[in-house]
Parts: sequence; structure tokens; C-alpha cells
Amino acid sequence: MSAAPTSAEQFPAIELRGVRKTYRLGAHNVPALQGVDLRVARGELVALTGPSGSGKSTILNIAGLIDHADAGEVLLQGRRVHAADERSATLLRRDAIGFIFQGFNLVPVMTVADNVDYPLFLAGLPPRERRQRVADMLAAVGLSEHAGHRPDALSGGQRQRVAIARALVKRPSLVIADEPTASLDSHAADQVLDLMRALGHAEGAAFLIATHDARLTDRCDRIIGLLDGQIQPATLPAAPAASLEPLQPALRSPA
Amino acid sequence: MNAPVREALAWLRFAWLNTLRNRRRSLVTVSIAALGTAAILLAGGFALYTYQGLAQMSARSTGHLILARPAQFQSDEDVPLQHGLDRSAELTTRLLADPHMRQVLPRVEFSGLISNGDKSTVMMAVGINPDAEFAVKGPFVTVQSGKVLASARDGQPSLAVMLGAGLARSLKATPGSSLTLLASTTEGALNALDVTVQGVFSTGVPEMDQRLVYTDVATAQKLLVTDRVSSLGLFLDRMEATDPARERLAAGLPGLEIQTWVQQAPFYRSVKELYNRIFGALGLIIGVIVVFVVTNAMAMAIIERTREIGTLRALGTLPGQMLQALALEGMVLGGAGAVIGALLSLTVSVALLIVPVEMPPPPGRSSGYPLQIAIDPTLYGFTLLAMLLLATLASAWVARRTVRRPIVDALAHV
Repeated sequence: MSAAPTSAEQFPAIELRGVRKTYRLGAHNVPALQGVDLRVARGELVALTGPSGSGKSTILNIAGLIDHADAGEVLLQGRRVHAADERSATLLRRDAIGFIFQGFNLVPVMTVADNVDYPLFLAGLPPRERRQRVADMLAAVGLSEHAGHRPDALSGGQRQRVAIARALVKRPSLVIADEPTASLDSHAADQVLDLMRALGHAEGAAFLIATHDARLTDRCDRIIGLLDGQIQPATLPAAPAASLEPLQPALRSPA
Repeated sequence: MNAPVREALAWLRFAWLNTLRNRRRSLVTVSIAALGTAAILLAGGFALYTYQGLAQMSARSTGHLILARPAQFQSDEDVPLQHGLDRSAELTTRLLADPHMRQVLPRVEFSGLISNGDKSTVMMAVGINPDAEFAVKGPFVTVQSGKVLASARDGQPSLAVMLGAGLARSLKATPGSSLTLLASTTEGALNALDVTVQGVFSTGVPEMDQRLVYTDVATAQKLLVTDRVSSLGLFLDRMEATDPARERLAAGLPGLEIQTWVQQAPFYRSVKELYNRIFGALGLIIGVIVVFVVTNAMAMAIIERTREIGTLRALGTLPGQMLQALALEGMVLGGAGAVIGALLSLTVSVALLIVPVEMPPPPGRSSGYPLQIAIDPTLYGFTLLAMLLLATLASAWVARRTVRRPIVDALAHV
């Protein structure tokens, strides 16, 4: 059962309007983005593809509010955020944006449960609610029995599932994923892809994914090609979702 | 448990876990902080013990307060007891009425010659009330032969003296020997008095033992032909009562001056000043070493974790929270070192009480002293707090640049 959309839900999860970014390398200016327009709706999985240096990571950084555009506008759920100061950007990331990194970037001294709990701890949620959400999310990614393990006791695929759980546990409107399957074997990559798609749809989170992985682009709702900092004509792949049935009970756990 | 405490404990736990990442490095850091803390506490405790010992010795020697006419403290006398106190018995009775007064001891200080008939030498003599003096001060000199003086009966002079060991040796005097004291009277005339040696003592300071003579007040007054005393030593029930008692008594004794034992103890003041400088410099050097060690350890830890710091910042950790987490790591290292160092110092201090260690005589003294370390809660508290603060601030200082580094750069760090 879905509730009536709130005002935030009526807007795209993230929108970039005429975004430009130039890096200064020594005496040279290197244009990374040259007027990028991009909208990602809630629940949508969008793949950014293109050769190295095409601007994929720059778009992710700007959309994830960890870098600033030189020009243009960035709207997170309809709210202009491109001029947000350090503290405001941090709080926006804390509340509304999840991150999945190619190298997992889990905190090695924390247990799996503590890693997943970290965003909820930052958000200041009550301990009981945090414990419940972490348990639900670990169940959703199939790692309940590993809750007390350290990340170095897990396989690459399991670690990336922990990273997905960490990104989604706070129910963000946007998840930024940078080459999330690049460090995984094909079986683990398939699992991670199915998981991202299932959880993304279930949680209503938009995924903006930079990838070279064809398996991943096949599962996305939309592919955006980039070349020299400009968006190329898009293709819309048929995206037959893998069977999501095993995941549904956990995904429907109460908020 | 309320939310801020819970959050603080969570950050502390995170800091603790991070210190366990590189255990060898943390162990070295904690060890150096512990040794530094122990060194400061042991050196500081030794200095404090020395101060306390010298303070007790000084107050026991002169009295907590010394009452005399102002000129006695300010100028030399033309004739003996020129600035002496009249009616000392009446003053003593008044002073003993003070609730904190334990005893009032008269002193008659004079100089002159002492002779065995064949040889005369200079003496520095002090007339005391022997019974009261030994009762209040305890064994303030070491009797080498004979016995201590006894107070005069019915105010009659005992005509007995105690000689410093060096002086006795010079005059070939032993207990029972007859000697002659020669001194100027208060009128300026020369007077002589035959006395008997009651005992030979050592003060522990060879120069003093060469000249010092103790006799009773009545004998001294008979020699000087006076009923004055040089000063009155006021012995209180405790050291802390010194300053309040001084203020209280001074108000009721116009025309007289009261000085504290500190004013009469230049040796105590100079030793304290010297030790404060030596141990202050030592503490500063140790503090700098600890700061450098903690800074180095944290710098390495932070550089190694630059990408992780970028990740945590991307996840929504505020720069202040990140700085706090890293500063807490330094605090954990410094705190662990400080606590271990304090325990080490405590163990050594207690061990020295159980197994005494004798130090060699200091310059100018003929006897050694027991090596003891004072266990002072204020010193411990201040040192532990200083170590915690230094380690915390050093970590925060090292961390600030990485924490402020752009997240994109931090995430790209290899």
C-alpha cells in the first residue's frame, strides 16, 4: 500500500541543470563536464557509461554533494543544493544520499552490523529503531548471520552487500554507486546487481551508477552515455528484473 | 543513559577500536607516554617530598612563627640582645592562650669565645629551654656522646652546655669537661662563665658543628647579664595554621613583628626555587617528547586512513565529529599511557616506603637521607589531566588538515 506522495516525492531524486566543471591540472584547464542536464526519478536505476575521463565520476561527485559544480544547478528532491556550504552538504548527504564504492570502503574495525548502523548513528535515531533497521537490512542482503563479523572475514561480494545495506539503511532518495561490481566476480556481481535493483525499487531510492560493466547496464532502467563531459543520446534497455520474490518480505518490513 | 552520553561513548569506543589497528605502534606510544608520566610524577614527588621535609625541618627549627622586635629582623646589634624582647614570660603566657599554640620557646642568640684554658675559639651560642625544646622538636640534633641538656631548676642557670662535634673535637672536650664561655654583656663589658660539657651533638652540617653551642636560657642570660631573649619561637598545632595565626597574633602585638618560618628559611626557598626550575624544565621536555610521539603515531594512523576518513565524511560525518573522533584516539593513547605511568609511579613510591633506599649526603651535609617520593593527589591529577590534554590536542592538530581535505581527494588517496 503506498501513501500519497509528499511534496519531496513529486520531484526527481536528483536533477542537474547545465552543470559545468573544469579541473586545473598544473597550468592546464581540463573541462570535465560541459553543460550536463540530467534527471533521475525516485526508484530509477540509471547507469552512466563512457570511457575514462568522460566525466562519470565528476557527475557522481557533484550529484553526491562531495564536489561543487563551477556552473549550473543541482536539485536534490527539488531543492537547490549546488551552493550548499560544507555543513549543509554534509547534513544533506547524511539524510538523503547513500554511497557505494568500488572498493567497498567499509570500516575494518567495525562489525558488519556497526558498519550498517553508522549512518543511523549519525542521524541520531534511537538505539531500538537502529537495531531493528540494521537487522532488517542485513536480512534483506542475506547477511544476518554475519552481523557480528568484521568485514575482513567476508568475501568481496558479501562486503559489497554490506556496503549496499549501509547505503540504503537510512532510506535515502539517492544512491551514488561508483563501479560497484568492478571488484567482484561474475556470480557476486550478479547478486549485487539483483540486490541493488530490488532494494532500489522497494525503498524508492534512485541509483546513479558509474560503470563499465555490461551486466549492470542490462539491468538498469536507463543508460546515459558520456563522452568528453557531455551526455550522448540515451538508450533505454529492456530491464527484466531478476526474480525479486525472495527479497520482498524483508523489503516490506515496517519503517 | 541519555543520547549525548551514548553518542560520546560510541565515539570513544570507535577511538578505542582504532587504536587497536596497529597494536605495536600504539604500544610504543602508550609506553612512552607511560614512562613520561612516571618520570614527571617521580621527579615531582621527589621534589614535593624534599619541600615537605625541608619545610618541616625549618618550622621545627625556628617555630612556625618567630616573634621579635622589628629591628631584630632588620639590622645587626651593636651589643648582644640590643633588640631583644623584655618580659618574655608575660608574652609567652599571652601567646599560649591562642587555641592553635602548642608551645612558645625562647631563644637567646649570641656569639663569643669558648676556651678550654689552652685554646680559645669562636662560638655561636643559643640559649634554649631544653625540656620544652626537645619535647616540641623531638631529636633535632644527633647526640654523639653524653646527654641532652636539662632545663634550669627554679630559674637557676644549669651552667651546662652541649657542643657541636667539630667544636668539641677542636677543644678536645668530652662530656664532663670544664670550659669557659666569654662574651660581651648587654652593657658592652666582657664577661666569662665556667660551664660543664653535658653532651656532644651533630646537626648534620659540619660547618655548624664547628661553632654551635647550646645552653639553657638562664645560663645565657647570666653570661650576658640580662633578662631579655632574642626572640620567641611559636609552635602551632599544624603547618596550615601558620598564616592565619600570624595575622591574628600580629593584630594584638603592636610594636612587635611576627615572621613565618618561610621568611626565616633561605635554604628552603633557594632549594625550592632550584628544584622548581630543574623539574619544571624536565616536565617540559618530557611533555614535548610525549607530544611528538603521539603526533607522529597519529599522523601515520591518519595518513593510512585518509580514504576511510573521506568515506566517513561522505556518509555524513561532520568535520567536527571526525576531528573529535581522531582527537579521542590521541586521548585514549595518552590516557592509557598516563594511567599506566601513574600506576608505575605509585608502585615505585610505595616500594620505597617498604624498602628504604638511603641517598648519599648532599653537599655541605654529613648525613644522608631516605629517598622517598611524595604521593600527592593534586600532582597526580594535574599530570594525568595535562597528559590527556596534550595527547588530545596533538591528535586534533595533526588530524585537522586531513579532516578538512576535500572528500573527493581523500577518497582518491592511495
